[in-house]
Amino acid sequence: MNALNLLFQFADNFAFVVLAAVGLAVIFGMMGVINLGHGEFIMIGAYGTTLSANAGAPLPVAMAIGVLVTAVMGFVLERTIIHRLYDRLFDSMVATWALGLLLTQGMRILFGNSIPQVSTPLGNIAYGEFSYSTYRVLLLPVALLVLGGLYVVFTRTEFGIRARATIQDPDTARALGVDTDRMYTATFVIGSALAGLTGALYAPTLTVVPGMGSSFLVEAFVAVVVGGPSVLLGTTLSGGLLGTIDAVFTNLFGTFYGQIAMLLTAIVVIRVLSDGLTGLVETVRNRVEGE
Amino acid sequence: MSGKRSGLSRRSFLATGGAIGGAALAGCLTGGGGSGGEETVTLGIIEDRSGNFALNGTPKYNASMLAIEELNEEGGILGNEIETFAPDPQSDNQRYQQLTRQAINEENVDALWAGYSSATRETIRPIIDQNEQLYFYTTQYEGGVCDSYTFCMGATARQQLGSVLPYMVENFGSDIYTIAADYNFGQLSADWVRVLADENDANVIGEEFIPLSVTDFGSTINNIQDADPDFVMALLVGANHTSFWNQRTSAGLDVPMGTSTVMAQGYQHKRLDPPAMANVYGGFNYMEEIPTDRNQEFVDRYYEKFPDAPYINEEAVNNYFSIKMYARAAEAVGSTNQADIIEELETGMDVSAPEGDISLQGPVHHMTHNMRVFRCDENHTITVEDEQLIPEQFLSETVGCNLRENEETTQYVPADYYEEADATQE
Amino acid sequence: MGLVDAFDRLRRPFEGPNTIGNSRAFWVGFLVVLVGLVGYPIGFGSYAASSAALYLLYAMLALSLTVIWGYTGILSFGQVVFFGVAGYSFALISMNLESALTTMLALPVAVGIATLAALVLGYFMFYGEVRDVYVTILTLVVALVLNTFMAQTAGSEWTVGSVALGGFNGIPAIPSLTLGVGGAAITLDGATFYWFTLAVLVASYLGLRALVNGRFGYTMVATREDEDRTEMLGYDVRRVKLLVFALGGALAGLSGVLYATWGNYISPSVFGITFASIPVVWVAVGGRRSLLGAVVATVVIEWFRQQLSATGSQYALIVVGVVLLVAILFVPEGVVPRLDAAIRGARDRFGTSNDTPEGTPE
Repeated sequence: MNALNLLFQFADNFAFVVLAAVGLAVIFGMMGVINLGHGEFIMIGAYGTTLSANAGAPLPVAMAIGVLVTAVMGFVLERTIIHRLYDRLFDSMVATWALGLLLTQGMRILFGNSIPQVSTPLGNIAYGEFSYSTYRVLLLPVALLVLGGLYVVFTRTEFGIRARATIQDPDTARALGVDTDRMYTATFVIGSALAGLTGALYAPTLTVVPGMGSSFLVEAFVAVVVGGPSVLLGTTLSGGLLGTIDAVFTNLFGTFYGQIAMLLTAIVVIRVLSDGLTGLVETVRNRVEGE
Repeated sequence: MSGKRSGLSRRSFLATGGAIGGAALAGCLTGGGGSGGEETVTLGIIEDRSGNFALNGTPKYNASMLAIEELNEEGGILGNEIETFAPDPQSDNQRYQQLTRQAINEENVDALWAGYSSATRETIRPIIDQNEQLYFYTTQYEGGVCDSYTFCMGATARQQLGSVLPYMVENFGSDIYTIAADYNFGQLSADWVRVLADENDANVIGEEFIPLSVTDFGSTINNIQDADPDFVMALLVGANHTSFWNQRTSAGLDVPMGTSTVMAQGYQHKRLDPPAMANVYGGFNYMEEIPTDRNQEFVDRYYEKFPDAPYINEEAVNNYFSIKMYARAAEAVGSTNQADIIEELETGMDVSAPEGDISLQGPVHHMTHNMRVFRCDENHTITVEDEQLIPEQFLSETVGCNLRENEETTQYVPADYYEEADATQE
Repeated sequence: MGLVDAFDRLRRPFEGPNTIGNSRAFWVGFLVVLVGLVGYPIGFGSYAASSAALYLLYAMLALSLTVIWGYTGILSFGQVVFFGVAGYSFALISMNLESALTTMLALPVAVGIATLAALVLGYFMFYGEVRDVYVTILTLVVALVLNTFMAQTAGSEWTVGSVALGGFNGIPAIPSLTLGVGGAAITLDGATFYWFTLAVLVASYLGLRALVNGRFGYTMVATREDEDRTEMLGYDVRRVKLLVFALGGALAGLSGVLYATWGNYISPSVFGITFASIPVVWVAVGGRRSLLGAVVATVVIEWFRQQLSATGSQYALIVVGVVLLVAILFVPEGVVPRLDAAIRGARDRFGTSNDTPEGTPE
């Protein structure tokens, strides 16, 4: 088992898990809404990017358009549908599932079963007899940047502090003058934009078809649950753990075992750690501090 | 209080009433509905137009409609206009079960074309066999179905691999690395690669099976580089696996690749930017780019009826010629009696299809196809490198299936007949 | 008067605050509908009955989810796991032992295997203190693991006895249920299958009604409302959840066996994310706290989806999505409870009824 291969495969998997999960984690972790249409949000970002690039926009601009389109869609959906479901967790699942269905079929009706694809930029890194797509490896630092950006927004800006206050204790936050409705809308828009970013980033390297969302959904949900309540810490740790398991098992035994190992790991973590990986970190921290 | 409640209940009545009304309206919109009696001929066309397989199913539906329209323009079948029952099963096998039963019991279809994936075929075959319904399965598949009521119009894996694999061995060398979708079709095709490698003095130096849900091929590409084969047999299926081609090109993997699945089904050479499909060689009975006059006329007629269609895939053409073949059989028999038509078909028939002149092997219900090796170059131009008529051999020669003499509804696998194909023998 | 008294005494165990329909009028209506359902194959033929039977067995799957979700607060995407496990088990058992008796033997054994699976998974989750949302995701992940695993069992090495698991293609030619022995044996098909499924559904429905309106039912609801409080009052909440989950598994398993014998086929798609989500949709729209709602919603939604699919229109899925969205937004407690509230409201406004007030405890 070649070390560089393993490293690059890990980078690839880590980025995929983190980017698939981060939009969902923000929406679920901060608002408790389980967005079963999360995969379709990613699909919209990918479609926005691909269609703009096909129309002539340079790739970074096309990606920005993809993100923007998804964010706007998130805003519209939040104002019309989602905001009615904040205290109805289970109903939000059915509603977002229905939304996912509408988005998939809607895109199929509007744009057909396939659209011309964007090719992957940036060539490859060659080492010995092996090579790996540069773009895919670069997605790792991008994923870290996204996580870092979220950290900055939610801890260093006023908006972030107000948002966290709203999540922790909406009544007190409201009493202190925070417009909680606006906070929820803003958070949902950020979550949608993040999903759109994932779609935009993966558009040049995955097949963009109306049903592509489902290939993100499983990993996203598993990562969010394994990560636990903390959006940033949880997503990062999930990406690390699941990415490693997938890379190691795929490298040793093949992609099927990688997938199964990852899913089984999720089951074990959910069972053993009641607050996911975040809970584990908290326990360790408490134990260390207690000494 | 009660006033408020009744106000809300009015809204709920509207909501549920609207839903029920919509359903009733939808019921009225159910198309087709011929009684299949003496005065009409009803054909059932159940192809996916939404869901995971919409990309492959929609051209099949289109080509079927084209064939039926052309037949109707010439007077239909036995002087009767052909009617259709053409629902959308949404790539959902449970829906296929219901719709097949509806087609047989309610719509009384005289013949049925249904299903893209092998799983769908196996889902509805029990229903077909129970009801003794004439059924055409038109997708290229792993082979081996010996069923009294099912006619398999697509090329089998042995025919497809039998056309491209010898060509690859001759031109590139004898070390083969197989990557295949991890389900029945992929695994059985990989078995056939081993059988054909043995018949052509080549070796399979490695095999890798990839679940259908995987979109990330970094490790697969590394494994291929590690094995350093002369060529790769890529038996990948579905939208997720299409991601392989962009990834292998951006990783700079340029070993030649043979396939029986990509391009002719999912037109990757049109969807992906060059040179994603460079150096890919496919063994198919049909691609839209076949440079014969007959094919060009067919392609023109197709795009005249469907100007917005993106491509005509392999299985669509199988729908097209088999519908015309059915019509000829019905005319020969003089009625739409299904048992009589099956008997007529079992005597064999020559068919003039867009791919060339092919024939139906009566006793095994499969086609001898005009196979070609298609090459995709770095500009995504398709050229034909090799051409030969290849009959169905597994059932007719190895297994000895003869539906003229015996009634059967079995699917045979190569592992039971070839040592090389049996994975447990490794 | 003696007959009416007997009728009232008979219906008492099936009534309570946990279910809709606690009046004589309801039960009369119920009997009328039941007679209609029994007569359906006679009026509409065996094909129509067979189609309807599919909706009835799906309704059993919905009931299994209602009992654990609506009444005990456990949302599980994994009911399809037990559905599929029972279906596959039935196929493997009945196709390996090839005699007419074996289908009747295979049915309870398959349901038993599904129940065992539910006990194992339930123990794993509830005695491991896994909470709410995590239970939901965990059940979904289990379904997906089975989906991925079963889809690749295509090779000839994946054979149990003489039956190949079949991978993605599934197991075809599963035998139909056969009741009775020798010359008196009836193979359940068409109308007979419909009647059998209807009988099983009605028995399950009535059984569940009695259960949720009894002492254990109150414990289930208490667990749903506030687990900690219930625990403090001395109930073993984990055991309650485990038992209910096992019951849900058994019902889902029974539904799975019926499905396998309806279509004589089963495949890994029953473990897929789409089919795993559908029961949640049925139960949410019908009213998750209502057994009747689950049954009605399942039948209506599935019939509706089938009709739309038959039109071949590309707007079929759009219509389904819109109807679901509307139902969940504007009728959140479920369509059937809303209708029930409306009917009772109308009755209240138009005068008193002669029936006893609903759900007055003894």
